[in-house]
Amino acid sequence: MATELDGSGARRDDGIEARAGGGNDDGRFPARPLRGVDAMLDRLVSATSWLWLVLAGVIVGGVVLRTLFGISRIELEELQWHLHAVGFLVGIVGCAVFDRHVRVDVFREGMDARRRDWVDLYGLLLFQLPFLALVLWSAVPLVAESYATAERSTSAGGLGGRWLFKSALPLTTVLLIAATLAATRRVARRLFGRPRAPRS
Amino acid sequence: MSLREWLAVAMFFSFIAGILTGFPVAFVLGGSALAFTALAVLLERDFGLETGVDWTYASLVGDRIFDLMDNWVLVALPMFVLMGLLLDRSGIASELLREVSRLFGRVRGGLAVSIALIGILLAASTGIIGASVVLLALLGLPPMKEARYAPTFATGTVCAVGTLGILIPPSIMLVLMGDRLALSVGDLYLGAVVPGLLLAALYVVYLLVLPILRPEMAPPAARPEVVDFELVLSVLRKIVPPALLIFAVLGSTFFGLATPTEASGVGAAGALLLAASRGGLSLAALREVLRETTLTTGYLFGIFLGATAFALVLRGLGGDELIARGLSGLPFGPNGVVLTILFATFLLGFVLDWIEITFIVLPLVAPVVAALGFDLVWFTILFAVCLQTSFLTPPVGFALFYVKGVAPDVDVRTLYVGILPFVALQLVALALIFAWPELVTWLPGRAYGR
Amino acid sequence: PQSGGVAGGEAHAARGAEGPKLRWRVSSAFGTHLPGLGDNVVEVARRLAVASDGRIEWTVDDPDEVVPAFAIVEAVSRGKIAAGYTWLGYEEGRLPASVLFGAVPFGMSPWEYTAWWQSGGGRELAREIYRPLGVEPILCGLIGPETAGWFREAIERPEDLRGLKIRFAGLGGQALQALGASVTMLPGGELFQALEKGAIDATEFSLPEVDVRLGFDRVAKFNYFPGWHQPFTAFHLVVNRPTWEALAPATRELVELACGDGVQRNFAKAEAAQGAVLAGFERNGVTTRTLSPALLGAIEGAVARILDEAAATDPLFARILAHQRAFHADYDRWQRLAYPSRSSAVPDPASPTASRAAEPGDGD
Ligand code: NA
Ligand code: NA
Repeated sequence: MATELDGSGARRDDGIEARAGGGNDDGRFPARPLRGVDAMLDRLVSATSWLWLVLAGVIVGGVVLRTLFGISRIELEELQWHLHAVGFLVGIVGCAVFDRHVRVDVFREGMDARRRDWVDLYGLLLFQLPFLALVLWSAVPLVAESYATAERSTSAGGLGGRWLFKSALPLTTVLLIAATLAATRRVARRLFGRPRAPRS
Repeated sequence: MSLREWLAVAMFFSFIAGILTGFPVAFVLGGSALAFTALAVLLERDFGLETGVDWTYASLVGDRIFDLMDNWVLVALPMFVLMGLLLDRSGIASELLREVSRLFGRVRGGLAVSIALIGILLAASTGIIGASVVLLALLGLPPMKEARYAPTFATGTVCAVGTLGILIPPSIMLVLMGDRLALSVGDLYLGAVVPGLLLAALYVVYLLVLPILRPEMAPPAARPEVVDFELVLSVLRKIVPPALLIFAVLGSTFFGLATPTEASGVGAAGALLLAASRGGLSLAALREVLRETTLTTGYLFGIFLGATAFALVLRGLGGDELIARGLSGLPFGPNGVVLTILFATFLLGFVLDWIEITFIVLPLVAPVVAALGFDLVWFTILFAVCLQTSFLTPPVGFALFYVKGVAPDVDVRTLYVGILPFVALQLVALALIFAWPELVTWLPGRAYGR
Repeated sequence: PQSGGVAGGEAHAARGAEGPKLRWRVSSAFGTHLPGLGDNVVEVARRLAVASDGRIEWTVDDPDEVVPAFAIVEAVSRGKIAAGYTWLGYEEGRLPASVLFGAVPFGMSPWEYTAWWQSGGGRELAREIYRPLGVEPILCGLIGPETAGWFREAIERPEDLRGLKIRFAGLGGQALQALGASVTMLPGGELFQALEKGAIDATEFSLPEVDVRLGFDRVAKFNYFPGWHQPFTAFHLVVNRPTWEALAPATRELVELACGDGVQRNFAKAEAAQGAVLAGFERNGVTTRTLSPALLGAIEGAVARILDEAAATDPLFARILAHQRAFHADYDRWQRLAYPSRSSAVPDPASPTASRAAEPGDGD
């Protein structure tokens, strides 16, 4: 994690591995190497992360164009939050895979691993999955309508194809559901699995 | 109180109970929204009770998330996170801190003071709570750990100083408040400057005094150096590059080259160049920094996503009207009314986040306060300090969550204990601003001749 | 959706001595504290409650409190909320023609728009277009021109637009862009600072009454007129159609009455207030100016091209535009002959262009 500092400026441990390896005794992390859905989402997070560099480039490009050449491109402005939205949506998926979503663990710290698993099992089934279903169910018709009306931005020279951008929400929600199911399976295995359950 | 309002109250306490189980906050928020929609639908269908919430209404959550995706101002969040991670991973941040703290080597708590000074500079360049707290935690926690500062002292410092970013302009919170009350953002920005600096000064005094009273909290540097011209010169040489970066961020806004949002991208690009020019950033390290940016942004927006669903359903159940009724009709004089409102806000801040309070409470109470003859800019700044405090108060203190996110090995009890002295300082500042409104009104009056 | 989204519409179950109770959540696209914009629907709701002896109860929501401003028509059409108070042009991305019901650059004057809506077939056209969406549009608010913008430097000639960094929305923004301006859509909250520091050279926003509250007069010294981009701005109450049709005739009539009153009161209040605000600007060192005839002519030409382009790509847009232009041709005959010019009675340095703004598109 970033809070481990060696002061040399050299590359440090992968944050996720550091977390998964160190001190995390509730065992919710997918074991490395990742398999199946987790491995796929891991690659997606890595690939998407390069968008932040593109975003920084677009912002600086916009500032330079405007201050040096007196040109404003609304396409570039809109591209900024398009990239941003895709980035944070994938980030939400990534946090589900690597258990990075914020927890208030003032009581959790005192629980044993089995009780934590029970909390997670109830939470995943009663809170997380239904909420994601609600998001998916409410988003799909909006994307469909955006497609049917060929929705575009209303700004002068704004971007078209809004449905493509909007479809990022249902798509990442499906991925979130996949990650949630994978997490549920892990927790359930620990709680109910026979000893031979975790294949190696 | 009607049944739907009882539902709103129940929803609220279920949420508190839910997050205390340790399940992720984002999904407790979203899950409670869903559960109480289901409950409302059942009560309406089977018992004929009017609840105001049904599935069609709950489907507004889709519209609200699309609105979040269209928000340009929030683009600053991942950019400032990226900037912080780049400065951290390339070693620039730790070197900067080490150098600055050499000047304070003989001063107990010198490292914390250095972090506070950097935090104040950051506050003047970022306007988003998550960004400045995460950035400062990344920069500040590792060296304080290395210097064997008490964890409570270290986390309290970064949480409190990190929240200054929301008060010292630019500030997305003041932008939102100005928008809600139709006040000039310029007046609010200038009005916030003196209170922001006052708070910063209170923090610095505390950071200097506490280690004298309790030396074990902040051990002095192992081999304190003599501060002479040569040392100052060498320190200056080391801190010029990062200082230039901060000036690039600040200056691009100040000189009208970029908006505060764009300044975040300028800062990130600058940090990348800085890191690359020092050769401290391999491609693999860059990849890791970018991944970490994605995940940090992910947990911040996860909370936004859940909160938007939660707020939707809470409002549908009449939660906002309930709060309004509770605050109206107070049997006190003018000062008493303002104090009660602030106290209630402070209490609400224990459990609600600032966006909710800004949207629900501020528009309700501001007309009352204005009618009593108070200056609305003054009141709004008081309110803002109150909300800034709410970032720090357990259990729902967003600053605490954010620090926890980047420093998972810190336990929540440490965070809660560490923040208490700073919450006390916030209250002192509030009292001072309340007693001397000129702290707020003087600067806008001079600048724009209000 | 106090009565369950929209399905119930009017809760006849509660019928008692005082008759049915109508509870709606009405989302406003404008802050309810903003004069001329969101304050109108609050007043409409208040009068409805009183006039109906408390049987009609609207909860008016600020934008984004429940529904994001740009999603109001969509939310109403699906019955997520019963009704909304909005500027129809916000739908432009999905329904390009909608902007013609909201504001048209160099378009009709406010009273001309009400004439078109009431007696010129405008309302029937709007109902026909919004019927497939399941939305009943009711004209419910109206204001006159907005300012043409706040500028840091004076502009004189069409060439001055080239490279001008300006924040400008919609069709007007497209016209300025066609003339070489570099148009941006900064978020509202960042405008003040961007204008103060010079990240942008100019911005348009709203009525002088609203602009002064945001403090633009303190950071930009030139305030330009006439409000060519929005000679009229119309606001509509949009009601979920099944809900609307389920209403008792008396209730429907009350809502119509309240909105009719909303239109005249909104317009009257806004017209009465702006002059004094403009006088106040001058005390802050603001120079009130009119765009030169050459500049205005160039913009009008660009607007005409933009409107024709939009009509060429969208049949619905073409149909409404033709309808409005036909009405205007008739109305213009009357308006030019019948109304006296007041330019001699009121000393006003801006009179040549000001009278032009009062007769948009008269073709000289
Ligand atoms: Na700030
Ligand atoms: Na709090």
